[in-house]
Amino acid sequence: MAILAALRHFPLPCLKATSLPTRLWCGRNVALRSAHGTPSPRPAGGEARRRNRTVLTYIAASAIGMLGVSYAVVPLYRLYCQATGLGGQAVAGHATDTVTSMTPMRDRVLRVLFNADVHSAMQWKFRPQQIEVYVVPGETALAFYKAKNPTDEPIIGISTYNVLPLDAAQYFNKIQCFCFEEQWLNSGEEVDLPVFFYIDPDFVDDPRLIGVDTITLSYTFFQARKGHVPNLPGFHGTGPRRKE
Amino acid sequence: MSTAMNFGTKSFKPKPPDKGAFPLDHHGECSAFKDVFMRCLRAKDFDNSACRQQSKDYLQCRMERDLMAQESLEKLGYKDLMEKEKEKENKKERNSNHAGTRQ
Repeated sequence: MAILAALRHFPLPCLKATSLPTRLWCGRNVALRSAHGTPSPRPAGGEARRRNRTVLTYIAASAIGMLGVSYAVVPLYRLYCQATGLGGQAVAGHATDTVTSMTPMRDRVLRVLFNADVHSAMQWKFRPQQIEVYVVPGETALAFYKAKNPTDEPIIGISTYNVLPLDAAQYFNKIQCFCFEEQWLNSGEEVDLPVFFYIDPDFVDDPRLIGVDTITLSYTFFQARKGHVPNLPGFHGTGPRRKE
Repeated sequence: MSTAMNFGTKSFKPKPPDKGAFPLDHHGECSAFKDVFMRCLRAKDFDNSACRQQSKDYLQCRMERDLMAQESLEKLGYKDLMEKEKEKENKKERNSNHAGTRQ
């Protein structure tokens, strides 16, 4: 039907019309049919051209619009992910409000295991001071690691961490720790490294974490090279901080 | 794990800590508080909820010696402990007032 409608307005020359419907609507037959009372008259040439131009403009505008939308989608999706916390993204602006207003969920006790590793080239001795701690979601907790530099020269270390199981990682929030910043230890020095964290109360509502009651926090220390800025989140690269 | 080209598998994305990193306690100024906290943990079978007073003391020690940015303890999750302390103080005041008037 659409083809017939198109043929009515843009008829093929009769010699080229091969099939019956097209022959019925070819050049001179269209004029005859119009004369026989089909209500819509063929528009004059100028109007058709103008209409064509309008249609073309609309199509071009929508094509450019689609192109623009495909570019705009990237930051918009990032904003959407931040707002809803989809895909484990850090939800912007939730930190202090959650900590101040959260209440501990005493019916769900979780066991947090601590693990410490060093890179093979790193000569620090690094270990947790407690193997496990029992926490509840919604309550802040403190834990300690100990690091010692047994060598004869100062070593700068930088650490990263990992949380298992991966589903629980988005609920594990560190308020303050010692990761992602260069830590300078002089020769023979031994320090306590605290980690202050909490588990988000939304942990109890996640269906994927129903059977989970153990979370493992694992830190790994690397040796920082001078001038080398690793691609870690939140890394400032300010250099060694010395306490006077 | 994070370099595997598996579509759909979760990978761990490390988040920086909310308040940044603790400056190192090179001179061990708050080690005493830390020892108290660790002893409490060992005594209470590593139950964090039982040793919150000691962890609060440790953080207060850090803040006093400039090893931690000053932050109100409510914002660090110690609102319940602060409220308990306020109640105790109010009770003490009330008791001392009563003692004054009774005489």
